[in-house]
Amino acid sequence: MSAPAIPTADRSSQTGPAVGGSPKELTDLAVLIGGQGGDGTLTVADLLARYFHRRGLYVYLSRNVLSRIRGGHADSSVRASVDPTTSIKSEMELIVAFDAQSLELGLPELAPDGLVLYDSSSFHSDRPNAIGLPFATLAGSQLGQPIYKNTTAYGVVSYLLGFDPAETRAVIEERFQRRSPEALEKNLKAIEIGRKAAAEHPELAQRWSVAKGSLSGYRIMAGNQAVALGFVVGGGRFFAGYPITPATEIMEYLGRYLPSMHGVVRQAEDELASINMVIGAAYAGARAMTSTSGPGLSLMTEGIGHAGAAEIPILVADCQRVGPSTGQPTRHEQSDLSHLVHIGHGEFPRFVISPGSIEDCFYLTIDALNLAERWRLPVILLLDQALCQNGTSTPPFDLNGLRVDRGKRLSAEEVAKLEAYQYYKFTPDGSSPYAPPGTPGITAQVTGNEHDEFGHVSVNIPNRNKMMAKRMEKLIHALPELPRPRTFGEPTARIGLIAYGSTEGPVREAQEILAAKGTPTKFLQIRTIFPVLTDTIVPFLESVDVAYVVEHNYTGQLAALLRGAMPEHHKRIQSIVKYDGFSFRGPELVAALEGRKNGPVR
Amino acid sequence: MVQSAKAIPSTWCPGCGDFGLLAAVKKALIELKVPQHQTVLVGGIGCSGGIHNFLEINGLHALHGRLLAQAVGVKLANPELMVIAAGGDGDGYAIGMGHFMHAFKKNASFLYLVMMNETYGLTKGQASPTAPIGFEGNVERPFDAILAALSQPVPNFVARTFSGDPKTMTKIIVEALRFNQEGRGFAFIEDLSPCITYNDTFKLWREKVVDLATLPGNDPSNRSTTFRQYLEVVESGRIPIGVMHRPATVSAEVESLELKLLPDHIGPANAGIELSEENLTGYRKLLASVR
Repeated sequence: MSAPAIPTADRSSQTGPAVGGSPKELTDLAVLIGGQGGDGTLTVADLLARYFHRRGLYVYLSRNVLSRIRGGHADSSVRASVDPTTSIKSEMELIVAFDAQSLELGLPELAPDGLVLYDSSSFHSDRPNAIGLPFATLAGSQLGQPIYKNTTAYGVVSYLLGFDPAETRAVIEERFQRRSPEALEKNLKAIEIGRKAAAEHPELAQRWSVAKGSLSGYRIMAGNQAVALGFVVGGGRFFAGYPITPATEIMEYLGRYLPSMHGVVRQAEDELASINMVIGAAYAGARAMTSTSGPGLSLMTEGIGHAGAAEIPILVADCQRVGPSTGQPTRHEQSDLSHLVHIGHGEFPRFVISPGSIEDCFYLTIDALNLAERWRLPVILLLDQALCQNGTSTPPFDLNGLRVDRGKRLSAEEVAKLEAYQYYKFTPDGSSPYAPPGTPGITAQVTGNEHDEFGHVSVNIPNRNKMMAKRMEKLIHALPELPRPRTFGEPTARIGLIAYGSTEGPVREAQEILAAKGTPTKFLQIRTIFPVLTDTIVPFLESVDVAYVVEHNYTGQLAALLRGAMPEHHKRIQSIVKYDGFSFRGPELVAALEGRKNGPVR
Repeated sequence: MVQSAKAIPSTWCPGCGDFGLLAAVKKALIELKVPQHQTVLVGGIGCSGGIHNFLEINGLHALHGRLLAQAVGVKLANPELMVIAAGGDGDGYAIGMGHFMHAFKKNASFLYLVMMNETYGLTKGQASPTAPIGFEGNVERPFDAILAALSQPVPNFVARTFSGDPKTMTKIIVEALRFNQEGRGFAFIEDLSPCITYNDTFKLWREKVVDLATLPGNDPSNRSTTFRQYLEVVESGRIPIGVMHRPATVSAEVESLELKLLPDHIGPANAGIELSEENLTGYRKLLASVR
């Protein structure tokens, strides 16, 4: 079987800068802001994101920080587009550099007609496309504090991109409303200082204007917040965790949301305590979750196995980062998949669910809570750094049609009518009715030892066989209830793409680029990683000549899982991987696909 | 009457010290008249950790060393439950040490019973963290859990009992569970519970125990006095038992974790989570507050 070749990229369509005449209107632009940690680069990115958001544009905000509190290179990119976007733009129109390193690091990303603005009070550059303005000196001399250099830079950018002055100020008011009046006033002054310096600079003129978008009601949100919100709405009331990048925000958001609704959020002494506190709370009848990343997940492994054996419904959110070991805490990877699919010693059922967008994070967290309780087993929400932390324009969440499914949970009245209550009662689908401790008239034994239906330790051979099958067959009986994949693109295309998590963004951008060049593709976004929903994937594989599985790890973990589950299709399943700590960008993925031409697996 | 999990016959060796504690726990629960369905015993891993099977209450058999974390989870999910964690000294002071010390800091109102016998009985007699020098080739000094407990300036309940004196033990367990019921925080009791198979110390310990209450000037509400008396007894080659710490009065401030977090006693397990109009109104408000 040979895969159709993907035509090589046509890179001749770059347009040059607007010379003279009116500013060029941009419908898709990106600004990269770089400096030392503590320079306030994140603030500039946030201000720009807020401005673009107010102008009705789709925003995608990506941070690249080092794992340290201050110092070290830090940058952020803000993409704003009239059309939906959930990936980093491959070329930046504008780079704002607070130090020389940021300029050098940013240059390879600069668009051919792009411009670098740098802080000339920090360093000097002779590069032709770089213009210096003394942000820190301007702020220091006129406001008494150089730290306002970041807002000064925002003022310069607002001039260069032809921002509406009133909206530019409104963004500052929105961002600094909770700070002191003095801070607000100085930030507002800093904008004017920046705009005036730009207007007076002999080489600077308004170069671009930014198209207005039509979005309304959207919010810029990252996946961690959407997971936290989904947890609340899905009835989650107990959270225990341990700080770890890039998962910590889930704990922080829940710390704000849950205490007012009889909820509990605890920062435990380690991940072992976190998962076991969650197990205790879930045993007692609460909907409970922990969130973590690779290193924490390793420690939680024994707890996840315990929940599987003892049939306690827990939710574990894994925000994947670069591994192994401590790896690169702040960077993106999708390399925990194999670990999660096989996690734990012995055999027990688990579901691994992966949302692909911010709104998917919200809805699938609710689904995951329902599935855990319905099937009484651990459910893992497989996330990744880009999904968890990159701010994305997100539509409002619709609360209509949602459900909180408590599965076979029994009320005290229902229990009173039973002949017997058995925590591990054999049932046709493997899931046993549950009544929480405290229900009058009954007591239960719950254990990770092999047990009989009452939960008493048992080494009886027929019981062992039956109890093992009871647990494992949940994986079969639950199949119709697990989240289905979604497809995007041209239904008749012969080139398939498969991905999960935040890779949805770059894959969909690559699809558009390829479609514009006459190469139709179709994309299967997998939302249930395990068990593999072969009934949804086989028809897709049979409809294409080749399916490229795009993921962020070295070994092609999802591709390997799919090949193992559908060995008759292994030749169609090809792997496209990236493991440098950054997510694919659309054009980069197109180039990888074009270079493939049915070549070796990696 | 709904049939549910019954107590099963114990698997312990005849004569095991743990029987003394089992009997004392039964008597204490009867005395306190706590309904069986309202009681959860979180067991550790090891001989003693199976104690939940021998009582007709709810049992949660935890992972090795993780019983305290699970017990805190249970108590915080439903503060109305009476929660007891029980296990051995290997479970609690070796693999579970991190959670042990943090239990004092967390200060949730539940009772932790450690059946201490200086050995890993279930794996056939290895030295545990409390084993004396020379036991099974041990060269490390034994860990003293009471001193560790007293070292934390937390107003919780600390005691040591002896399985050879089940009457006193019952009295102290009742006191500890009342402390929990009053929402005053964590209670820790180390019970000297000999392993008659691998380390039969019944005779030795009976000779060596000294109840601190018999010493002049003893005052369990005074940490420094108790600490000094405890050390003096240890240094004289004997074993202190009795109540080691018990705050004299109920603190004016809320001390226990569950009451700090859940002042109205409604926890995550009994919060209404259905998509009622009331909950939906709250959720809409929350979503609207998100920028």
